[in-house]
Amino acid sequence: MASAVQTHESVAAADAHAAHAHIDHDTNTGISNTKLGMWLFLASECLLFGGLITTYLLYKHPLEGPTPKQIFDIPFTSTSSFVLLMSSLTMVLAVSAIERGDHQRLRIWLGATALLGATFISGQIYEFTAFVREGLGFTTSRFSSAFYTLTGFHGVHVTVGIIMLVSLVLLSLRGKLPEHRSETVEIIGLYWHFVDVVWIFIFAVVYLIP
Amino acid sequence: MALTSHDPIPTSELDGAVRDYSRDKVYVLTALFLGLVTVVEILTYAFPDFPAWSGNLVIAVLMILMAVKFFTVVYIFMHLRFDKPLLSWVFWSGLVLAACVYMVMLCTFRIFWPGQHG
Repeated sequence: MASAVQTHESVAAADAHAAHAHIDHDTNTGISNTKLGMWLFLASECLLFGGLITTYLLYKHPLEGPTPKQIFDIPFTSTSSFVLLMSSLTMVLAVSAIERGDHQRLRIWLGATALLGATFISGQIYEFTAFVREGLGFTTSRFSSAFYTLTGFHGVHVTVGIIMLVSLVLLSLRGKLPEHRSETVEIIGLYWHFVDVVWIFIFAVVYLIP
Repeated sequence: MALTSHDPIPTSELDGAVRDYSRDKVYVLTALFLGLVTVVEILTYAFPDFPAWSGNLVIAVLMILMAVKFFTVVYIFMHLRFDKPLLSWVFWSGLVLAACVYMVMLCTFRIFWPGQHG
């Protein structure tokens, strides 16, 4: 019991100092291992998505079935892209909020980010359903396989991001996300922004470039 | 001293940062800029005959706009501009490696030669 109280007090003391002192990392680089690890992961993700985008570019001219020009709904996808882009703003505002120690705004911005991400995913599900109805299944053509694999992989990444955001909101509500752990929010923010920049690339290369 | 949403976060309070992070106002202005660039991207689709991006010029215009959005998000929202250079090296290494590998792959499949795809 005494130990539990002591732990609670030490966490509270750390929180009280969080706005005025950053936590030093005992690493050669001075950067925390988790943050460096996330950047290494994102660098490796460039290779994953690069492979998927290259495959799409090679197979974008279908030998059978509908062509991209026939099925893409650019105004709809543009709206989805805008929603995902704005989710990057709400994410960075969440990071900013926890660095100020404003937990209420942190939860609001994290919730808004998750909601915008869910809107994007809903749009993608609607788009996929519409394409299947128009006769573009996963195995219809080499174009459809490449398209669904690329955008589907991105959708899975967004979904994982939403799960992490909701987890952060729950942690914050339970008081397990104090200011001195703001780096956790920042690292998940890095992942979310990366998902956004990948979509910036996909939107231009897959949807807009003729 | 309490920080407000307009103050920069001092570098001394951040993990490994070499410069102060921007604050909310900069983030909102950045998002507006990104929204504006997206509108221009959509205009290339809505008005394909506009002289600034008519014909094959549209590919170059879209690639430039995409690059502008990409670097803006990475440098401002992902804080790469403010963080230690090591993180920039890590990320750009992965990106450049991916770009080189897949450019070679596209050239191997002669995608840039007219009439070779399909």
